Amino acid sequence: MITRLVFLVLCCISPIALAGSTPVKIERAWMQAVPPVAEATAAYMKITNLGPTLLQLVGASSSVATKIEPMITTRTERNGQQIMGMEGVEHLEIPPGGVLELKPGGNHLMVMGLVSHPKEGEHVKFSVRFAPGDQQIDIDVPVLQQEPK
Amino acid sequence: MKETVSEPKSQNASVASSRANGRRIFITAAALGVALLISLLVTRYFAYRDIQTNFYGQALVPAKEAFDFHLVDQDGKAFQLRQLRGKAVVFSFGFTHCPNVCPTTLSDLAKVYRALPANDQKLVQVLFVSVDPQRDTPAMLKSYVPYFNDSFIGLTGTQEQIAEAAKAYGAFYEFVPDSTGNPGSYTVNHSAITYLISPDGKWKLLYDLDQLKDSKKIIQDIERVLAGA
Repeated sequence: MITRLVFLVLCCISPIALAGSTPVKIERAWMQAVPPVAEATAAYMKITNLGPTLLQLVGASSSVATKIEPMITTRTERNGQQIMGMEGVEHLEIPPGGVLELKPGGNHLMVMGLVSHPKEGEHVKFSVRFAPGDQQIDIDVPVLQQEPK
Repeated sequence: MKETVSEPKSQNASVASSRANGRRIFITAAALGVALLISLLVTRYFAYRDIQTNFYGQALVPAKEAFDFHLVDQDGKAFQLRQLRGKAVVFSFGFTHCPNVCPTTLSDLAKVYRALPANDQKLVQVLFVSVDPQRDTPAMLKSYVPYFNDSFIGLTGTQEQIAEAAKAYGAFYEFVPDSTGNPGSYTVNHSAITYLISPDGKWKLLYDLDQLKDSKKIIQDIERVLAGA
């Protein structure tokens, strides 16, 4: 029972990154596994702003890619079918106490210029950058084929 | 006398009335018959509608003849949809430089495929049709598409062949320059729809990206289509 409880608590804590200075919580981070020929992929996560002021997600850096930038996904309709597009943005906003969900088919961090192609089950390091100022949070990002449940 | 005269009259009257009765019975029976036929047709129609619309995916009622596209497969060989008669075909349009929608679609379809019973796997073919032939050569597709599942096939073609296939399925795509301004660097806005074709070559269903998350319901649709629904 106790080991089970400890396990549960560990499960809850491990994916959460709490930075000393930036009042941000990052959960459920993962990067889509793609084949070695792919030049780009996407990373997803849930970011909670725990502070009293607006935060902006401006991007991330990692040794796996040359550029990691926020993108929004646009959805429009034509012939009754949904058209999805992608637009780079300067930043994505997280209001005080608010949550930013980066999800497949939605807003995401586009990982461009992949220099290595980590396989499913491997982990990569991301430094997620926020404004105002130059706030960085280092997180561990598992590489997965599917969105974790 | 009056009575004798009146008798045949009354006989005439009774003959006339029995004729009228007969006609009335006939009309009633005919009306009943027609009503029965109509109700039968209506119930049959609703049963048919039910079968056609009780899918998880969005059903085309009636199902359309699937356009027989002529493309090139990941080995550089000519490829026609017709080659896959006898199999349910699941396909979508995309491009390999796509970071979000396309890997999500292919990973979701890989999950569906893996969860199919082995017997059904043999009867299902997943295709990925690139709308970006400039960057997606057959060799590129061969290293990209089967990564998600060995059995998946990547297709490409000339701009015209691809445009014709996309048009037939109501798919849309447009090339959009990205922020770098480099002509070789662009993104593609495209419809993120997955199509399901029955083994007899009918375009039955379509799914949007969000629907692909529920593999169980898609598998139910595939199994019903394989069973001839």
